Amino acid sequence: MVYGIVELINFAHGDIFMIGSLIAIVFLNMLGITGAAPLGGFTLVWVMIATCLITMLLCAVLGVVIERVAYRPLRNAPRLAPLISAIGVSLILEDVGKLWKGVTNVSFPQIFPQITYNIGSVNISSVNILVIVVTIVLMAALHWFVSSTRIGRAMRAVAQDRDAAALMGVNVDRIISITFFIGAALAGAAGFIYGLQYGSTIFSLGFQIGLIAFTAAVLGGIGNIVGAMLGGVLIGLIEAFATLIPDTVLPHGGAPWHNAVIFAILILILIFRPSGLLGQQTPEKV
Amino acid sequence: MASLVSSRVFRPAGDTRQLLIKWIVALLVPLVVFTFVWSGEAIVNNVLLGLLAPASASLTPATSVLAGIFILIFYATILALTGYLVAADSGRRGTVELWIDILVFALVPLLLIMTTGLVIGLAASVLVWVVFFYVRNRIRKARGYKPLRPTEALTVVTAEQKEAFMQRALAGGFWFGAIFALISLVVDLIFYFSGQLPDVLLIWAIARTILLPIAGYFLGRLGGVIALRHVLSAANGANEESAESGIEKKKQLEVLSSTRAREEAKDLVPNDLPLRSSGAQRFYLTLLTAFILFYPILDPFLFGSGTGGRLAGYTDAGYYVILALGLNIVVGFAGLLDLGYVAFFAIGSYTWSIVGSTQLATVTGITLSPAAASWLFWPMLLVTALVAALFGVLLGAPTLRLRGDYLAIVTLGFGEIVPVVFLELDKYTNGANGIVGVQSPALNLDFLRGVPGLSGLAGLHVEWSNFTPIPYYYLIVALIVLVIFANLRLRDSRIGRAWIAIREDEIAAASSGVNLVNTKLFAFAAGAFFSGIAGAYHAAKLGQVSPDAFSFGDSVIYLAMVVIGGIGSIPGVIVGAFAVYAINQLILAQLDTLASDPNNVLHSIFVAITQVVPGFTFGNIRNLVFGAILVAVMIFRPEGFLPSSRRRRELHHTAADGVEVSSLDVVPGAPGFEEEVRVE
Repeated sequence: MVYGIVELINFAHGDIFMIGSLIAIVFLNMLGITGAAPLGGFTLVWVMIATCLITMLLCAVLGVVIERVAYRPLRNAPRLAPLISAIGVSLILEDVGKLWKGVTNVSFPQIFPQITYNIGSVNISSVNILVIVVTIVLMAALHWFVSSTRIGRAMRAVAQDRDAAALMGVNVDRIISITFFIGAALAGAAGFIYGLQYGSTIFSLGFQIGLIAFTAAVLGGIGNIVGAMLGGVLIGLIEAFATLIPDTVLPHGGAPWHNAVIFAILILILIFRPSGLLGQQTPEKV
Repeated sequence: MASLVSSRVFRPAGDTRQLLIKWIVALLVPLVVFTFVWSGEAIVNNVLLGLLAPASASLTPATSVLAGIFILIFYATILALTGYLVAADSGRRGTVELWIDILVFALVPLLLIMTTGLVIGLAASVLVWVVFFYVRNRIRKARGYKPLRPTEALTVVTAEQKEAFMQRALAGGFWFGAIFALISLVVDLIFYFSGQLPDVLLIWAIARTILLPIAGYFLGRLGGVIALRHVLSAANGANEESAESGIEKKKQLEVLSSTRAREEAKDLVPNDLPLRSSGAQRFYLTLLTAFILFYPILDPFLFGSGTGGRLAGYTDAGYYVILALGLNIVVGFAGLLDLGYVAFFAIGSYTWSIVGSTQLATVTGITLSPAAASWLFWPMLLVTALVAALFGVLLGAPTLRLRGDYLAIVTLGFGEIVPVVFLELDKYTNGANGIVGVQSPALNLDFLRGVPGLSGLAGLHVEWSNFTPIPYYYLIVALIVLVIFANLRLRDSRIGRAWIAIREDEIAAASSGVNLVNTKLFAFAAGAFFSGIAGAYHAAKLGQVSPDAFSFGDSVIYLAMVVIGGIGSIPGVIVGAFAVYAINQLILAQLDTLASDPNNVLHSIFVAITQVVPGFTFGNIRNLVFGAILVAVMIFRPEGFLPSSRRRRELHHTAADGVEVSSLDVVPGAPGFEEEVRVE
């Protein structure tokens, strides 16, 4: 979403995600929850909602600050400038995470009860269901926000044509700030959910996740939401199948190579479809 | 003889005295500081003792001779520079202003010797400069200071006026030499009578007092000749035609827009800022070349003991320079953001490591003797670079059709993959252990052993090891010079112009007949080529290579070098590489050392920080520092600290040039003004 509106790859997005998971840990610790014992009943719901909201709020504020400091002064600069600035912000956040929680994995309190349901031969855990539910809720809320509110309409207008939007009385700076606010809040929520599911987090998480996410976007087709989702699924599948490559093909089997395999396939696809799988070759505006 | 000069600028010879005082004082200050406060006198005395009284000398004869040559070049260049400056100055810029500037700059050597660390001294000087420029700008603003307006009109210079320039140059050189000789004589006499100066050197002191003014006279003449070459001369001969073509030159200058004209006018003699003219740059270049060539000999005089370690550090900074210059082609010239540049460096390192170690036998079954393998370094330097360039093309071909930011992602991915490949292909690369025992380059005459008549020469060889970094120093200097030369030629070539055209506007470039794919591919290949050279050098110097030395963090550091110095500017990138090296390897490490020392001021700050952030060390926040630098440079000075003039104009064209009034430009409002501005 951020990309659509400001046409800038926000390298720091993955790192906001990482900071979000760290904020969630710290907040849970402040509530006195450190152990692995799951909570139950009303407390669980209360803690979940509070943590999620706090994380989202703090991340959103962080996102707005980053936009104000690092991106807004460069709005009219050549393309390279905000990109380099974004890399700089990403590095800063990564080191902040490192200083804050150290260079090793930080364990995330397992507050959600782990129950595994068997549906036929498929095992699905309660955390997985939670992840899916939260994702659907947030996506629905985002969709409603963008398509039905006044601010959402302004956002779409800015994404389409910034100057025209400004002429129509849209405060472009404010809209971009709001976009960063929402984008960063979503990243924070994602960080929280990630922590719940995987039970640990690390300072370099943002970089890894960001790299994979942007690769998915390139693979699926630039500026195409369905394409990005397809790219994400494909990368997941490639990663899973890459581990099955036997020793005879690649030394040490496929597992350590999964990133290399992903990129090899990405480059192969780009040779034949330069704009990604579902992307359309759009003529550039002069 | 007719040539062009601005009429309002040129003054009668009566002002010569004023100019002499201005420049002689300005240049004497740094020279006296160097000679008597810093190390100049020590070098001279050591050299003289070595030559006059070898028994009591502390230097070997060869070192004495080399240091002596340097000192000769140094003082001669300064004398000629004085002549040049006195002749080339228009006298419009204030004397006191210049003196204050020079005084601030002369602080550097003082700070270098007064503080304990070389790096801390440099950092302190940079701090002083920043404060100075800030205060000066504030004062100027407060007093309504206006910069000198560009010269108002151009007229033809007569032969007499040229003669007057020459006279000034002669006087400048002579009086500078005479005054300096006098000061030196007084100082030497004081030392002599207090018994600190050996008798032998008194002869020298007297000889110098006589020789220096004479040398000054002739060297001033040399400076004058160089200055006269920059008087906008019309043509040879004094006939009517040449005056005509002189007018033509004047018209040419008038057609240029103000910025271009100001840049062109830098070379005019007389000149408002002769220190920045291209004539003066020749002298700086001479000094710099001499300094770099003789540096290993001078270092102990300038900075005391520990030369070996420092030189090793500089050689490491050297491959940063090559990497930065290579990346500058991709990012700076062609405007393609490459975040996986470290990959090519890794490929270069591994290529030489596999060939230049016993790994070759493991991989191919060919066993080479170490002597033969180390000779292979020289041809392999080229092969390695070509291999890296090949990979540049392989990566570039499918990805270059992507838009800027997505290209960044894919190159980033490539940078992540390559170390993994080297890690996992342990059959060829020895995996996580890396390759050890990589040969250093060979430069010896051992192969003459057994050749009749020549076997006596066989013992001559250059000792390459980490304990004697001097050969590496010269190797990297030679490589850097080659790379800079190649970069300059590339930038000014047809392909270089095509790169810049692509950076400015891809569609316009394509419409003008630039082949986008080939040009971009060539940029990738050229960038990778230089990084391959750096890689081979690095592997040979270190003697080993391991896959964990090539991370995304390194790619970002290389990017920071280009960004700090000035995207697309060759001198800027070189300075940027040194700055980043200093921050990365020296300043953060030195801060940690200082912080762990309980007597230091920093220690209490450090303790305070660690109470809030337990794992804090200065080395730990490397990425944070570079991230902050990247953001700050992008926001406050996107063209970098030593920008290329073209880039600066691009980034500031509306603010700086648009409405500036100057004679060389068209006056605002006059017909043709709009077109004139748009040319920029």
